[in-house]
Amino acid sequence: MGRPGRIGLGLVAAALVVLPPLTGFHPYYLYLVSTALLFGTVATSWNLLAYAGQISFGHAAFFGLGGYGAALASLAGLSPWLAIALGGGIGALGAAGIGLASARLRGAYLALATLAYAEIWRGVAHNWTTVSGGGEGLIGIPPLPTLGWLPLDFTRGRAGSYYLSLAFLVVVVAVFWGMLHSRLGLAFAAVREEEERASLLGVHPLPWKILAFALSGFFSALAGGLYVHMVGVVEPDLIFSRYFSILPLVMATFGGLHTLLGPAMAALGLYLVSELLLHPYVPAFHQLPYALALIVVVLYLPGGLSGLFTRKPRGAA
Amino acid sequence: MALLEGRGLSMAFGGLLALRGVDIAVEEHQVVGLLGPNGAGKTTLFNILSGLLRPTAGEVWFGGRRVTNLAPWRLSGLGVGRTFQIARPFARSTVLDNVLVGITFRGRHRYGRALDRRHEAERLLATVGLADKAPARANELSLGERKRLELAMALSTRPTFLLLDELASGLSPKGREEVVRFYGRLKERGLTIFAIEHSFRILAHVADRLVVLDQGTIVAEGRPEQVLGSPRVVQAYLGEDDGP
Repeated sequence: MGRPGRIGLGLVAAALVVLPPLTGFHPYYLYLVSTALLFGTVATSWNLLAYAGQISFGHAAFFGLGGYGAALASLAGLSPWLAIALGGGIGALGAAGIGLASARLRGAYLALATLAYAEIWRGVAHNWTTVSGGGEGLIGIPPLPTLGWLPLDFTRGRAGSYYLSLAFLVVVVAVFWGMLHSRLGLAFAAVREEEERASLLGVHPLPWKILAFALSGFFSALAGGLYVHMVGVVEPDLIFSRYFSILPLVMATFGGLHTLLGPAMAALGLYLVSELLLHPYVPAFHQLPYALALIVVVLYLPGGLSGLFTRKPRGAA
Repeated sequence: MALLEGRGLSMAFGGLLALRGVDIAVEEHQVVGLLGPNGAGKTTLFNILSGLLRPTAGEVWFGGRRVTNLAPWRLSGLGVGRTFQIARPFARSTVLDNVLVGITFRGRHRYGRALDRRHEAERLLATVGLADKAPARANELSLGERKRLELAMALSTRPTFLLLDELASGLSPKGREEVVRFYGRLKERGLTIFAIEHSFRILAHVADRLVVLDQGTIVAEGRPEQVLGSPRVVQAYLGEDDGP
């Protein structure tokens, strides 16, 4: 496709994602697309961590920390816009914490540690009743209020959360792009491919790993913070569930590990197919696309969907 | 003056003593060859000297400074570089990125501008004859090319002291000649080299001094012609001579 063609396609895509709230989309569909965009954000942030070689099975921990952090701040009277940012910071800290604690773990051991980490936070949220509300969780989390300095249509009803989720996705993709084209990406790839070798070339692996965890945790937690403001409640079994750990992993690998747009595209595609096509008609099978995607990646598409569009290098693993 | 010194280095892996009180000194601007049969402890010694392993006992000194147990990235910052016998590149990164890592993150001589880093990377790849492979992925390279990338990666931190682990092994006769030339050029650049090689011919060509390691201890050292003719070395490599 030529340059004008690509620009044209980009404009059409931009119009498609910007217009829905302004054209009277049903709020339920706005909510679904917003959630899909949030999954795109979490899948991209999962991919950012994977780019540094750290495979997480526990992104629910970061998503949930952001959710609880933002919910508590909002309920304490902070503006939800600020509360979500605060939740992002809490998620970044929580992610840096598990990054530090599991510094010596790799591969399956790291994956299990992160899985356990999410379960630990679920247990904490269940039992720290005075703060978290226990198993019943917290209710009455306000929706995003309108912003006076913007035209009303952009923040009214579900429009605000729609555009904010879109902004999160755009920003995390931009950060990923910046990472790929900077010394950050060079260090992440070196640590991922050959940690010992990297250390002999002046790269101290631990700070880079922790930075990857913190960045990934930050964006996942922003998504979690916005999510609880969209649904109005937060419960341990909802937000710390393995659903939010496994789906980003499936989406990112299906879209294409280490690729810029693959994980977000796969997240949007899989989530919307699941919720718009399967949930209404065959609700029992609505999670089938994720399972099929995983099977397809393992058996036929090691490079994910992005692998279909890129030249396969000779002898590449 | 000895640039690098190991004093009484011992390394135990459980009950296995890989090194038993090794004393070693490498003088500045010299090429010292390390040889010994498989399992003698050569690579273990290299792992200690490059900071990947902590010795069970003993000390490492570099440039008049005690560096025992210093992390690899600190040693690299002081000027220690190394290659691996079996190449360990960043397999899915480009050849250019493989050398950019050292150029970007080394402790000294850093550039602020990405363009300067790139130029040095291209120069370095040209030095080892990989200029045209810059955009390829490291795992697409042939064995000979991987060996050259190993050397380029080791040089990317601008070391003053190089640990070379069997640069010539597995190469064709032509590749070996090239390696001999590389040794000469590295020495001209003022580098100090400690090199494991199995080829007596290469060692005789390039080394100022040889050290022979067997079962974790140094059994012979001296000028190449002395060491290569010594009965101790023949015995370590070929076993006891029971013949007539």
